[in-house]
Amino acid sequence: MMGRLTQELSLRGLVLLGLLFAALLAAPFLINDYLLTILIIILYFAYVGQAWNIMMGFAGQLSLGHALYVGLGAYTTAALYVHYGVSPWIGILVAVPVAMICGAIIGFLAFRFSVAGVYFAILTIAFAEFARVGFDHFSWVGGSSGFFLPVANYTQNDLWNLRGKPIMFYYLILALTVLAFVICRSLLRSRIGYFWLAIREDEEAARSLGINAFRYKMYAVVLSAGLTSLAGVFFAFYYNNLFPEQVFHISRSIELILAPIIGGVGTLFGPILGAFLLTGLSETMHSILYSLGVDIPGAKQVFYGICLLLVVMLLPDGVWPWLYRRLGLSGDKP
Amino acid sequence: MSSNSSKSGHAGFKVTRRTFAAGLGATGFVAGTAPFNIVRGQGAALKVGVLLPRSGYQAGIGQDCQRGVEIAGGILKDLGYPSLQIMNADTESNVDNARAQAEKLINGGAQLLVGAFDSGQSTAIAQVAEQKGIPYVINIAAAPQITEQGYKFVFRNFHTAGMILGGAFKNQKEVFAIAGSAPKSVVFMHVNDTFGTAMQKGIGAVMPKFDMPYKVVETIAYDPAARDLSVEVAKAKATGAEALLVVSRLNDAILLTRELVKQRWSPMAIMSMGPGWYEDQYLKTLGKLSDGPMTFVPWYDPNKKVSKMLEAALAKAHPGVNVNTNHVYTFEALMVAADAYKRAGSTDPKALADAIRKTNITENVSTGPGIMFNEKGQNDKLEITGIQNRGGKLPTIAPKVAAIAKPELPMTPYNKR
Repeated sequence: MMGRLTQELSLRGLVLLGLLFAALLAAPFLINDYLLTILIIILYFAYVGQAWNIMMGFAGQLSLGHALYVGLGAYTTAALYVHYGVSPWIGILVAVPVAMICGAIIGFLAFRFSVAGVYFAILTIAFAEFARVGFDHFSWVGGSSGFFLPVANYTQNDLWNLRGKPIMFYYLILALTVLAFVICRSLLRSRIGYFWLAIREDEEAARSLGINAFRYKMYAVVLSAGLTSLAGVFFAFYYNNLFPEQVFHISRSIELILAPIIGGVGTLFGPILGAFLLTGLSETMHSILYSLGVDIPGAKQVFYGICLLLVVMLLPDGVWPWLYRRLGLSGDKP
Repeated sequence: MSSNSSKSGHAGFKVTRRTFAAGLGATGFVAGTAPFNIVRGQGAALKVGVLLPRSGYQAGIGQDCQRGVEIAGGILKDLGYPSLQIMNADTESNVDNARAQAEKLINGGAQLLVGAFDSGQSTAIAQVAEQKGIPYVINIAAAPQITEQGYKFVFRNFHTAGMILGGAFKNQKEVFAIAGSAPKSVVFMHVNDTFGTAMQKGIGAVMPKFDMPYKVVETIAYDPAARDLSVEVAKAKATGAEALLVVSRLNDAILLTRELVKQRWSPMAIMSMGPGWYEDQYLKTLGKLSDGPMTFVPWYDPNKKVSKMLEAALAKAHPGVNVNTNHVYTFEALMVAADAYKRAGSTDPKALADAIRKTNITENVSTGPGIMFNEKGQNDKLEITGIQNRGGKLPTIAPKVAAIAKPELPMTPYNKR
């Protein structure tokens, strides 16, 4: 396992990775609560971007409806907790399979009937929208009026029930991000990862070599859905309220995929770097404008748009592949 | 590296890519951690962080609420309240940003928070406020759960969803009594979005308690983004109902009215319980065809002194914009803040929260006896107001205490205007 993780990683790459991890571990003791909140948001997008990357970046299947899996994870664990007092750790044993089954249904329908490319993307949007409308009328979880988790405990960290202070949620999302990174790196350096890449590059050629494209694409969809649903669990217990309009909306799906697109689709560090760049720089820009007395609502969205434009025009593979060459991590693969 | 640096000195300092990047990073770090006072301090002004969705899909509403913030300072000063130093933040219409911005405002020195129009965003802010012990006054958000969580620092001067529906039915009965006539049957038409669906469910639960004179003969849901509602209106007309009960948005309210005219159906009343029918754009777009619909919403009492001040201030700052719910309740949230600061005589959050708990503002804007909070932090004395479109204006018709005009019921048929 460790060998697979460090395989082809240069010494400089290992040192930088170690420093980044150490900095993230120490961060809550060095920064204020606002910056901690921003770090939580960054890691959330890094995690969910990594989960989406399995499907698009590795297996080449464009999903524009990943908010569906976030929502399923969020609603399932929240409902089990509120209605039956089930700990979210037990709840994920239901939530993750629910998301995986949903992913499998979408994948089966698409791959069995050769729905590919933009049509596959539309199919994923359709399922997310279907869920949004459906949950609007699902009164057991509040319907359109929203579903609220009780938030009485502020002073103590109750990890079992995920009730507590932001620092607990920070380490939780950090652990999830590291977990997703480890899983993705292990998979990418394994047989299944190489099959995914082959399918992504040329599905017909991969089939001609005997790769069962249907099976491996299904693996990607199901794994991606399951990992994404964990982000939903985090979302529900951190924010403590769920509205179908907020959770399943297509704008949420788009938001989730921006980090890997900016950072570099198909790379391991791309989603992490993209999340840091997008959220970090936009918050910095916002703060500079505010400190100058300039108050522009929506500046962040404009910033996102400019970033996308620049990356698409100047660095079509994303920022990470360019940066890793600049950092001299030549022994490493992006 | 050190020798290069020493060689260059100040005179020969070159901006390389590396120094530029370092400078940019340092600027960002400083800006990210430093307080961001938009309005510089004026003596001992209370620092109030105002969180509103001024971008994203709720941008229009957030910007309208912001108008209430802009005009508040002058009115509060005239009423003898102390100054507020407003620190604006945009929630971008989502909960994660609402929470982050609340943290940012508190980190920047905000001593009290106000906002955020939406229930989800307000819940996220409430958690931060409670954890930090900073008082939070909700301007608009109707989810009852927010004040049912046992928060000590969260206060809401706005109706819960149940209060809105109950008040609307109460007002309707009062209007029928004054007019001396009432419809015996209605068609209920509503948008199938979050708000419309919630209202549809609420009506089913609340209406039976009010013994209304009419019965709902048909319920018709439709897409708020619909381009054509001719089928829905034809279906409604075919029921033979005397009136329309509606929960709409702006676009569909205009479409429905045009279809009513086109299909030559003038119901005796159009009774709305939400936005759309009273909005400025509706009045401007339809002209005389906009007259007649009654809306039962959280509103203001135009007979109150402060209401007149608010109307005058808004007319001066934004000519042609009618005072509405967004302005009223955002202004009142700031009024609560100023009033608490005046009585507490301190910016200490705990003292401010204690003062807010004892709020008793009777000279306010919204309809009802005034602003006071129960043990849960909810103003449960608020009343719903009936308004009717008349010549581009929105006179109040119910309850009696807030009425400045008598209801026109039945409304003038479209072909006789």
